[in-house]
Amino acid sequence: MNRQTLLGLSFISPALLAVVMFFLLPVVLTVVFAFTNMSTSTGILGGEYQISESDLRRLPAAGVSDEVAEMLTGAGYAVRPETLALFAADFGKDRADEFDTLHGGATFNDRRAMERALKDLRGDPIRVVRERKAAAELFRVSILGQRYPTEAEFQTAIRELGIPEADHAALTKAAYTGWTFTTQNFELLWELPATWRYALNSTIYVVLTLAFNVGFGLFLAFSTFYLPTRTAQTFRAIWFLPRILPPVLYVVMWQWLTWDQGFISAILRPFGIEPINWMRHTATHAWTFIVLINGCVGASLGMILFSSSLRAIPETHLFAAQVDGANRWQQVRFVLLPQMRWPILFITSYQTLSLLTSFEYILLATDGGPGRQTEVWALAAYHTALSNYGGNLEYGLGAAYALALVIIGILLSALYLRFFNFRDLVAKPRIEQ
Amino acid sequence: MKQITCALALLASTAAMPVLAEDITITVWAGGSNDSDHYRIDNIMIAADLLSREAAIRGEELNITVEGKRDFDGWDGFKQAVTLGAEAGNAPNIVVTSHLDIAPWASAGYIVPIEDYVDLDSWPLNNVYANLMEIATFDGTQWGVPQDAESRPFFFWKDTMAKLGYSDADMNDMAARVQAGDYTLRDMLADAKKAVDMGLVDEGYGFYPRVSNGPDYAQFYQSFGGELMDPETGKLVLDRTAMTEMYQFFVDAVEAGVTRKNHIGTDWDQWYSEVASGKAAFWHGGTWHYGRYTGKEGNDDFFGTIGFTLIPAGNEAGRANTITHPLVYLVTDQEEDRAEEIAAQLVSIASEPRLNTLHAIASSHLAIGKAESDLDLYAGDRWASEATDVLLPHANAQPNHPSYGAFSEAMFKGLEAAWAGVQTPEEAVAEIEAQMSATLGDELIIR
Repeated sequence: MNRQTLLGLSFISPALLAVVMFFLLPVVLTVVFAFTNMSTSTGILGGEYQISESDLRRLPAAGVSDEVAEMLTGAGYAVRPETLALFAADFGKDRADEFDTLHGGATFNDRRAMERALKDLRGDPIRVVRERKAAAELFRVSILGQRYPTEAEFQTAIRELGIPEADHAALTKAAYTGWTFTTQNFELLWELPATWRYALNSTIYVVLTLAFNVGFGLFLAFSTFYLPTRTAQTFRAIWFLPRILPPVLYVVMWQWLTWDQGFISAILRPFGIEPINWMRHTATHAWTFIVLINGCVGASLGMILFSSSLRAIPETHLFAAQVDGANRWQQVRFVLLPQMRWPILFITSYQTLSLLTSFEYILLATDGGPGRQTEVWALAAYHTALSNYGGNLEYGLGAAYALALVIIGILLSALYLRFFNFRDLVAKPRIEQ
Repeated sequence: MKQITCALALLASTAAMPVLAEDITITVWAGGSNDSDHYRIDNIMIAADLLSREAAIRGEELNITVEGKRDFDGWDGFKQAVTLGAEAGNAPNIVVTSHLDIAPWASAGYIVPIEDYVDLDSWPLNNVYANLMEIATFDGTQWGVPQDAESRPFFFWKDTMAKLGYSDADMNDMAARVQAGDYTLRDMLADAKKAVDMGLVDEGYGFYPRVSNGPDYAQFYQSFGGELMDPETGKLVLDRTAMTEMYQFFVDAVEAGVTRKNHIGTDWDQWYSEVASGKAAFWHGGTWHYGRYTGKEGNDDFFGTIGFTLIPAGNEAGRANTITHPLVYLVTDQEEDRAEEIAAQLVSIASEPRLNTLHAIASSHLAIGKAESDLDLYAGDRWASEATDVLLPHANAQPNHPSYGAFSEAMFKGLEAAWAGVQTPEEAVAEIEAQMSATLGDELIIR
């Protein structure tokens, strides 16, 4: 490796680092998460070992024998000679003797009952709450509800309980509270009827918005191309506004425009048209506005790119066409458009990919409504992984949704490159060879 | 000599000083809290002061600094902040959140049981209503303490009712009639239709429900005989008949012109201003709405204009009901056991009737314990006392089950689809049945 290569590498390293940090790593993590059952309940960084009351009824299904499930069930606290001995060691023989007379042989279901029993000590009562709790723990004979940080500690605990070796593996597996690798997310996606609706919604959304973006962007570019420079610039600046407005503000303005006491309803009322929520009335209304909201943002980008590439076309081509008697439409169709293949390719592929993953304007405008009819794939991923009223976020399932998008995105990029003959477009100009 | 005196003086002063001064910072994050909910944090501060004084009397120096935060980007932002903080090992010591978070957060090990640190049988925790304490348990363990109580009543606009022919006496009887099942959701729908037909309210304003998902919709499921959790097995329950009838009820409301087809997603501010000013005939909300109606929305005569009842029964199988969705104080898992202990003690002290009453009245919530109704501040507040009498005895809560979130989301999605006319109620129920059995598996009982 010579010095030039090293220098080149060092120059590119910040960019490389950014690509790894902000692109590769998230993709790799998405792939990993998609094959797990990770959720709020399992935590992210791993789990501990615990058998809780509600786990008991799941044990038979997890391959643990009924006999073991039976052993785990039952009273959590017992006053027996061995627990009393532990108590005597820490809290004195007198107390232990008194407690034996009071409650010897008794069992208690929960710690609260155990603590109540300990309060019966009269000779030398345990006065401090924490001490009484520590004392209660000495009488614990069950592992139900106990958390063990490591597998080894859990196995020691179940060995002490006398659980047969044969069941150790299954029981340990059932006790693990963290996430595990699984393919169930993809099975679930395949099974759920909603998945197909979201896919269809995404297709509708991308195709319609893309058509609007590119079409309207081209229209703006061509219409301003033939205008005097200053007027053209003013128009372009106006059409650029949606892109520079903060999305929340931009969507709020659309809300004001469309809600049932909004601008459109107010204008139409004198004509005898009942006020309705124009954005949410039906699915068609919702799609129209979602395409408009996204389209106006997207079209401005197309407009800028198309305008600049139009200006790069030598004017002489237009003069020649004019001499041949071509009208404006013919100029656009036969002279300008063929030379715009590369910017159109770029905008189409770039917008397809960004539309596939974008949902922020839909989230703000309809949040997938009415009746989930505008819930696109990316929004479903967001709702699954990051928004749940009940509090259990399903990171794994959300990542599976996202992974599908990553795969579709990569496939589409490959398809676009092939379809638009990317290699020809970036070939070296023949004239310089 | 002088040196020796100095040394002696120094020695004396150190001997007089308490053994070790202990400085501890307790952070409290309160989700879903607005300005009137500041006592969720302030009460912890008052508790810290009391605890320090108690320590001082025992001869210990305990300095507690309480740092509170309640400006979060909605519930989603709050829950993400807490869970990610817990993963990174810097979770706040105390969180105020929905009791539904207990199940997932306990399974993930983010929180520690409050019963590990405080005596549930002593004051003030033994004063908290047993059914509310129950809501903060999961898997037989007491994880938290209810921070406030509320319930979700059904409201009607008295003026509209008067024009429909109800006398004042009739309206006063309403709560009792609803409770007895004499006045059902179907009767309400008929009245709402009449109000729309007579032009008393605009079309779509006869019955004006909540605009987003929330515990409220589970109430309507219960109104039609639905049960959320099977008490025997602890599994969630999808009652197909009840769910279909509940969906059908909303579809009928839309068809009768009583409720708007695109109602879900209406702006909350618009919704509040409309219901507080009588634009709607019937609606449902929460006990804390009282503060909003009489405050920001400027309704000066709440009791003269608005009546409230339980959510009426929907049919023979169902019952009049209301859901209470208390927020709870939870103590998070920390490196230092001492921090957890102090946090738990602060939570316990903050549940003192006097302190909790400050929160209840300032934020239009209900008491968590019996003794609060003996306090002047609470007893003197008409709304708090009436709502406590009419609603709280009949309130139940949603189950603490790790998969309840998925259940609730599916139920609401189905409702939205039926409501907007995308699917018939039967189709919607069939779809959520497929969805729930796939996602909940063995944890679901289908009836």
